[in-house]
Amino acid sequence: MEESKGEEWEPKILAFCCNWCSYAGADAAGLERRQVPPTIRVIRVMCSGRIDPAFVLMGLLEGADAVLVTGCHIGDCHYVNANYKTRNRYEFLKEFVDELGLEPERLWLRWISASEGSLFAEMVREVTEKIKKIGPSPLRREWKK
Amino acid sequence: MKLKSKYYLAWAKDEKIRKKGANGGFVTATLVSALENDFIDAALVFEKKSVYEGIPVLTSDPEVVKKCAGSLHGVPINLTRFVVEYAAKKRIGLPTKPCDARGIIEQAKRRQVNLDNIFMIGLNCGGTLHPLRMREMAAVFYGLDPDSVVREEIKEGKIFLISEEEGGEEKEKWMKIDELEQKGYGRRDACKSCTVKIPTMADLACGNWGVPQGEEKTFVEVCSEKGGAIFENAMESGYVEAEEAPGKGIEARKKIEAGMQKLAASWKERMDEVSTLSRSERFEFYVDELKNCIHCGACKAVCPVCACEDDSKCLDMNDERDSYAISMYNVLRIFHLMDSCIHCGQCEDVCPVDIPLTLIQRRFSERMQRHLGYVPGMDITEKPPLYETELRWSARVE
Ligand SMILES: Cc1cc2nc3c(=O)[nH]c(=O)nc-3n(C[C@H](O)[C@H](O)[C@H](O)COP(=O)(O)OP(=O)(O)OC[C@H]3O[C@@H](n4cnc5c(N)ncnc54)[C@H](O)[C@@H]3O)c2cc1C
Ligand code: SF4
Ligand code: SF4
Ligand code: SF4
Ligand code: FES
Repeated sequence: MEESKGEEWEPKILAFCCNWCSYAGADAAGLERRQVPPTIRVIRVMCSGRIDPAFVLMGLLEGADAVLVTGCHIGDCHYVNANYKTRNRYEFLKEFVDELGLEPERLWLRWISASEGSLFAEMVREVTEKIKKIGPSPLRREWKK
Repeated sequence: MKLKSKYYLAWAKDEKIRKKGANGGFVTATLVSALENDFIDAALVFEKKSVYEGIPVLTSDPEVVKKCAGSLHGVPINLTRFVVEYAAKKRIGLPTKPCDARGIIEQAKRRQVNLDNIFMIGLNCGGTLHPLRMREMAAVFYGLDPDSVVREEIKEGKIFLISEEEGGEEKEKWMKIDELEQKGYGRRDACKSCTVKIPTMADLACGNWGVPQGEEKTFVEVCSEKGGAIFENAMESGYVEAEEAPGKGIEARKKIEAGMQKLAASWKERMDEVSTLSRSERFEFYVDELKNCIHCGACKAVCPVCACEDDSKCLDMNDERDSYAISMYNVLRIFHLMDSCIHCGQCEDVCPVDIPLTLIQRRFSERMQRHLGYVPGMDITEKPPLYETELRWSARVE
């Protein structure tokens, strides 16, 4: 991967947010005028239960430096118990990513409510910092200039 | 009559079956009896074509079942997919190695077959040989023309090959399994490291461990009510004879099983070339091996625990035009089998580009299964954890 001199490398972070909580949380961060690093790309889904592990895996294969799985706090899911399933699947993803030889920091699970804009901004900052330390994902395949 | 014990020495009453059978011909006689007494509509057995080839046959003809008596160690085919494909609606009986029985139970969990309709006569399993490697082995180590080998036998830690010379004379040669395996031959990698040796998840578990030397009998463990009922019926209707297994035999069998499990565990460790690699080397290893995949789909077609058809996610989400380091097909197959892979090695057997799939699938699934405290293929009441809502391990944490 080629970076022009002097320019700091910016990670690409993919976040899946559920419509009712974490997406609204991201929105709140904006409304509250909080600084959110521009490293994040958000994909809105109706519920974290809709995040098929295949989406996360494809995100990594596409070259995301980290993937964040987010949703409503346990007990608050708008579709009864779907985020319990998210939690279950995440456990599989964690083992998979670790075994594959990617750093565990490339995968995150966070519960964020609609009013937790600060938490959302904080999370993006934290992930960006961590990823800057470990560098680009070895799965990243960019065209060489 | 109600069976008094769990362990028996049993044999076919019919002398011909007893002679042809691997041990006492019990398995064949019981299948014949189950057919004649209408417990099953058909039996699924292996017809021997050569020592390197056996074809699964589904038959209601007792004569065909009798013809198929005996053990074929060079036939590593798992019967699960045949049951799903051809016999899902029938009442059938079949011999099952531990990996056959476990595959069938996983398919039953996924509603592809109904265990009520399946009578599994388990066979203890020390392992199978890959037919191609076996031919090589016959030529290189036994100095035989592979096609002259007419029979094989595994006993006392040795592999015997019996060849027919010109003029019809038979010659027997043997070599120690250990020695062959040190040189990369002998049993398949999956079998060398397989720790499930006695199929107690089947209805009956049969073998020769625990049978006194020189006796033509089959050691039988009764593992389910259905197994007991069919066994009993076979005795009552005069197909098999049985005596309670002596305590010494039961002990001996247990000891051999433990020994085999220990050996398997040490093979597993020795063969795991990934365990000594660093994180980034591990990543390189997986990418390097999996990049050879040509997406023929064979590994999916034979996998005994996969229940997807042609519109599966791993196929649908794979695009040959993608330039991913590892394809979606491989990533999803590995991911989806993390809770359910039984490490049978079928995928590796059929892979045309020789990707070490047994090792790869095992590396990913074994750590997950350990984490879950879950062993697939053992118990029909346990759902595959990937489909569960509640964390399986949360109960253990608290
Ligand atoms: C590959 C293999 C390894 C074995 N290893 C051991 C061992 O280490 N220790 C032990 O105690 N017992 C082992 N057994 C079991 C043993 O060889 C006998 O099958 C068992 O004792 C039953 O004997 P029998 O005379 O009653 O069976 P039989 O009446 O001879 O009936 C055996 C049935 O098994 C079927 N069969 C043959 N080959 C295969 C195959 N590859 N896969 C599935 N079914 C097959 C035949 O078609 C037949 O229907 C093994 C069996 C196999 C097939
Ligand atoms: S994987 Fe295990 S049960 Fe299956 S053939 Fe090999 S040793 Fe037997
Ligand atoms: S992935 Fe391979 S080793 Fe695992 S169950 Fe399927 S065929 Fe057997
Ligand atoms: S059998 Fe081998 S080449 Fe064929 S799809 Fe599976 S891994 Fe790829
Ligand atoms: S609706 Fe937010 S996690 Fe289900």
